[in-house]
Amino acid sequence: MMHDVWTVARKEWLEIIDQLLRFKRGGWSVLLIVGFLGVVSPLQMGESWLSSPLMFFYWPLLTSSMTSTLIADAIAGERERHTLETLLASRLSDSAIIAGKILAAVMYGFAFATTNLLIGWCVVNIKFSAGELLTMPAARVGALLALIGAGSFFISGVGVLVSLRATTVRQAQQTFGVILLVLMMTPVLFVHFTSVDFQSRVLDGATRLGVEALSFRAAAALGALAVVLNLAAIGRFKRGKLVLE
Amino acid sequence: MSGVAIRVEGLVRDFPKVRALDHLSFDVPSGIVFGFLGPNGAGKTTVIRVLLGLVDPTEGRSEVFGIDPRRNGDAVRARAGALLEHNGVYERLTAYQNLDFYARAWRLSRSVRHARIRELLLQLGLWERRDEAVGSWSRGMKQKLAVARAVLHRPPLVFLDEPTAGLDPVASASLRDDLARLAQQEGVTIFLTTHNLSEAERLCALVGVIRRGRLLDLGTPSALRTTRGAPVVRITGRGLRDEILAEIGTLDGVSQVTREGDTLVFALSGDREVAPLVAWLVGRGVGIEEVRRDRASFEDVFLEMVGQDSEGVERPVRGSGLR
Repeated sequence: MMHDVWTVARKEWLEIIDQLLRFKRGGWSVLLIVGFLGVVSPLQMGESWLSSPLMFFYWPLLTSSMTSTLIADAIAGERERHTLETLLASRLSDSAIIAGKILAAVMYGFAFATTNLLIGWCVVNIKFSAGELLTMPAARVGALLALIGAGSFFISGVGVLVSLRATTVRQAQQTFGVILLVLMMTPVLFVHFTSVDFQSRVLDGATRLGVEALSFRAAAALGALAVVLNLAAIGRFKRGKLVLE
Repeated sequence: MSGVAIRVEGLVRDFPKVRALDHLSFDVPSGIVFGFLGPNGAGKTTVIRVLLGLVDPTEGRSEVFGIDPRRNGDAVRARAGALLEHNGVYERLTAYQNLDFYARAWRLSRSVRHARIRELLLQLGLWERRDEAVGSWSRGMKQKLAVARAVLHRPPLVFLDEPTAGLDPVASASLRDDLARLAQQEGVTIFLTTHNLSEAERLCALVGVIRRGRLLDLGTPSALRTTRGAPVVRITGRGLRDEILAEIGTLDGVSQVTREGDTLVFALSGDREVAPLVAWLVGRGVGIEEVRRDRASFEDVFLEMVGQDSEGVERPVRGSGLR
């Protein structure tokens, strides 16, 4: 099973790499994001780039959005490019195909985030270290990576479910965009429809926990949700239905 | 031939508004090229999907090497290769990467994988272009690559769904030669659907003709020509006017008449003699230059079969290539 999952993930990666290497096909946009997040942002923020709580917000969000661009293509893309039926006619199992695609997307998001973090860390050290190595506490790095990984995994689950139903990549991306918007707006609506007293109690609780512990808990919750979503996606992956759709 | 590769019994597949397969029954012996012929929408692709376990039949059963694809589709797919309606190649990947992906999926070891990919790409004349992204290739080259992918893991059974569709005559002939060579060298059973009748006649040891989900006939191409095709007479001459053509079609014993330049081609029914026909033409001022008896072409036979009204004229037959 793991061999098959890896085989599918490897194929997905080869396609991603091809796309990234082709400037006109979207490689430029990734380069632009890396330039901004990995170089410009650390240069602007200086040493505070390493300690800002904002990192716990925008890195997972950004990683999830990178994952989403890939996962929306997972099944809808194969269908649109007429490669799905051939894939389904191979000896690869349903779960290996879907798990391989999820693994590739999560790895993509994770690799994107860690690469940018590393570049940013190097930029901060080169520009602001003054001879002393500037670092981030291990717990902080761990919490950030856990949140990034769980966020990517969660988005992959949502994305595969959307991609399974969509007939084209464009349709998958549009539906996925709406879902992402709803997911992002939920905390805003939560704030809007709750009392000030409740909000201050939540804020106090979060402050007492600290950003690292809060991130670990959020990662655990997202991870659990992601497992449910991904299992649902595997359950929905039916060859006969996909071929006839 | 040793045993049955495919057995189909009373297969029915209904879709919301159409019955795609209608009590279809036939056997395909192993080790042969089997041609499955029929017009668009006849049910050829549905049969392949059922046999690969991708679609369940509504009624009836099928076996591939004794395995029921409905219950154990994985085991069937493990023994089969397929080039389906679309070639299914990954256009962003190179030819080598395309084959390498499926070779890994078939769990070929690293050394076997490379040797096999090299062997196939060399055979198909694609080795020099193995590192090119397939997206820039011609349709014919992609089809060749898809054929290579279908036989990559040396399956005992290969499904080829219209492999030469949309190819120019040169590419078709080239791919046909490759298929014949591969079938001979690999010793596999090939289940081939095609619209190209000369292709079927050249490649297939056995053909089944399907229309609206029903099997019309099954046999070798030459047997179908003999049993199904009416004798044909070709009369070449001068002065073949349109009114003669119109009148001659109404004569007793002439079931069909067509004109090919200065030649009239007659399909004769029963024991109709040719001499009175020639005398009739001479009497109308036609200068006869040549009279030749011939058998109906495979294309004529096919067109006659699929062209008949399905309302009770043709009944489904039970076919077995083993007989």
